[in-house]
Amino acid sequence: MKSKKRVILISIGAILFAMILPLFVSNNYHLNLMIQVIINVIIVVGLNFITGLTGQMNLGTAGIFAMGAYTSSLLATKLGINPWICFIMAIIMGVVIGVGLGYPSLRVSGVYLALTTIGFSEIVRILMTNLTDITGGALGVTGIPVFSIFGHKFQTNKEIYYLYLAIAIFLIYNAYRIVNSKWGRAFLAVKDNPDAVEAGGINIATIKIMAFTLTAIYTTIAGSLYSHYVGFINPSAYNLEYSINYVVMLVIGGIGSVPGNILGAILVTVTPELLRFMENYYWLVFSIITLLFVIFLPNGIISLFKERPKFIKERGK
Amino acid sequence: MQVLIQLLITGIAMGFIYALVSIEYTLIWNATGLLNFSHDKFILFGAYMFAGSYVLGLGLPPVLAILCTLITMFLFGVLSALIIFNPLSKLSTNLFAVIGTVILGRIITESVRLIWGPLPFTLDNFLRGSITIGSVVVSKSHIVIIIVCSLITIGLQLFFKMTKMGKAMRCVSENKVAASLMGIHVPMNIAFTVGLSAIICATIGILVIPIFNVELQMSSMIGLKGFACGVIGGFGYLPGAILGGILLGIVEIFGSMLIPSVYKDCLSFVLLIIFLLIKPSGILGNKR
Repeated sequence: MKSKKRVILISIGAILFAMILPLFVSNNYHLNLMIQVIINVIIVVGLNFITGLTGQMNLGTAGIFAMGAYTSSLLATKLGINPWICFIMAIIMGVVIGVGLGYPSLRVSGVYLALTTIGFSEIVRILMTNLTDITGGALGVTGIPVFSIFGHKFQTNKEIYYLYLAIAIFLIYNAYRIVNSKWGRAFLAVKDNPDAVEAGGINIATIKIMAFTLTAIYTTIAGSLYSHYVGFINPSAYNLEYSINYVVMLVIGGIGSVPGNILGAILVTVTPELLRFMENYYWLVFSIITLLFVIFLPNGIISLFKERPKFIKERGK
Repeated sequence: MQVLIQLLITGIAMGFIYALVSIEYTLIWNATGLLNFSHDKFILFGAYMFAGSYVLGLGLPPVLAILCTLITMFLFGVLSALIIFNPLSKLSTNLFAVIGTVILGRIITESVRLIWGPLPFTLDNFLRGSITIGSVVVSKSHIVIIIVCSLITIGLQLFFKMTKMGKAMRCVSENKVAASLMGIHVPMNIAFTVGLSAIICATIGILVIPIFNVELQMSSMIGLKGFACGVIGGFGYLPGAILGGILLGIVEIFGSMLIPSVYKDCLSFVLLIIFLLIKPSGILGNKR
C-alpha cells in the first residue's frame, strides 16, 4: 500500500511540475524542446512494450513514426479531413503495421523483428521520397492543419504543449496500467523464460504481436501529433539513426519501467542540447556516454532509485 | 545476349559482396549469438582507413595499404570484442549487446566524420577501367570482386575445416560450455572471431570503393541487404549466406529491368518479408 501511495504522490508531483513549467519558460526554442520531449516520451513508453518488456529489438521506429505522420498529414491536407479523424486513422495505421510486420517476424523466434523493422523503415523512406505525386517527394508535406476543439485552434506552442501533455498523461497512465497488468507480466515473462510461458498455456507469438502492435500504435500516435504540431514533414530525417535514438532513450532510462522510460526520453532529448557547446564533438561525446551507460548501468538510471529483485543476472547459472 | 551476360556478371559481383557481408556477421552470430548491427560501420571504417589514411594520407602502394588496413581492422575488431561483445553477451538478454553494437556503430561514424571529414572522395586509379572478353565488356572491379570473394569463401571453409583455430571456433559456436571444457579460451576465441569478421569487413570496404564513393553512407545499404541475404539463404549458416547473397545480387539486377530503379533497394526487403512468411528457415536452413 505504501509504495502505491508513493507512486501516486510522485506522479502528481511530476504532472504539476510539467504543468507549471511553461509559465516560467518564455523562450520559444525551449517550448519547442519541451513539446519534442513529450512526443519522445510517448514513443519511448510505446517502444518499452516490445523492446523493453518482451525483449525484441525494434529498429523501425523511424518508419512507423513516418507512416503515422504521413497518414495523418496526407489525409488532412489532401482530403481536408478533421485532424482528430486523421489522428484516429493514424492509430488504425498503427494496428495495421503492428499486425502486418509482427505476424511474419514474431511467429518464428529470433532476431527477425529487428531485420524486418529496419527493412520496413527503409522501404517507407524510399517510397516517401519517390512517390512524388502522393507524398510530395523529398520536399514533403506542408501546411498541415493544427488540432482544434469546438472551433478553438491550438496554435501557439503553449496551447499545443498543454494539449499534448494531456494526451501524453493519458497514454502514460494506460501504459503503466498495461505494464502492471496480466499482459505486462506476460510480456516480461516472454523475455525471461519463453519455455515457461508456453508451458503456462500462453501463445508466445500472440503475446509478442500484441506487444508490437501496442508499440506501433504509440509510435503512430506520436507521429500524428508531431506532424500536426510542426506543420510540415519530409522523409529525409527518418533513417536508422533516428530509430536508434529511441532505443538509446529506452536503455538510458531503464528498460521495462515506465518512469524509467520517461526519464530516459527527457534526458536523451535534453542532454545533446546541453552538450552543444562542444560543437563538432558533441555527438561523439554523447554516443560514448551512452555506450558507457549500456555497459555499466544496463538497467538504466531508474535502477539507481529502486531496490527491486534484479531480473538481469549473469548467464550460465 | 551480351547485355544479359554483362548484367549477370554485375549481379554476381554485387551478390558476392552481399554474400561476404552476410558471412561476416554470421561469423559473429555463430560465435556469440549476437547480431553485429555496427557491421556496416566496420565496412565504412575499413574503406576510410584504406583510402583516407594509408593511400591518400601516407601514400603507400595499394598492396601494403591493404595489408596495413587488414591488420589495423583486426586489432580494432579484437578490441571491440573485448570491450563490447564479451561483457555484454554475458547479460541475461541479448538486448544490451545489440544496443551496444548499435551505439558502437554510431561512435565509429562520428569518429570517421571527425577524422576524415564529411565530404565524399574516391581513389582515381584504383580498380578503374574495364576489359573486353569477346564482345562482353566487364568492369575490372567486378572481376576483382568475384575473384577475391571466391578466394575468401574457399579460404574460410578451409580455415574452418583444417586448422585448429577454425575447429575451435566452430566448437565455440556449437556449444560454449563444452568448448571451455575442452580447453578452449572462449572469450579470446570470440575476440578472434570478431577480429576475423572485421578483416572481412575491411575487405568489403576496399572492394566497393570503385563502385560507391568513399562517403559516410556508402555501406548502409549493403549492410542492410546483407541481413536480408542471411534470412533468404538460411540464418546462421555460411553456405546459406553465400547462396542468399548471390541470389539477391542476381534478382536485384534483373529486377531493376522490370521496376523503376529507385525502388530496386526495396526488393531485398520485400524478399525478406516473403521468405519470413513462406519459409522462415531460408533456402538452406533445414540442412544444418
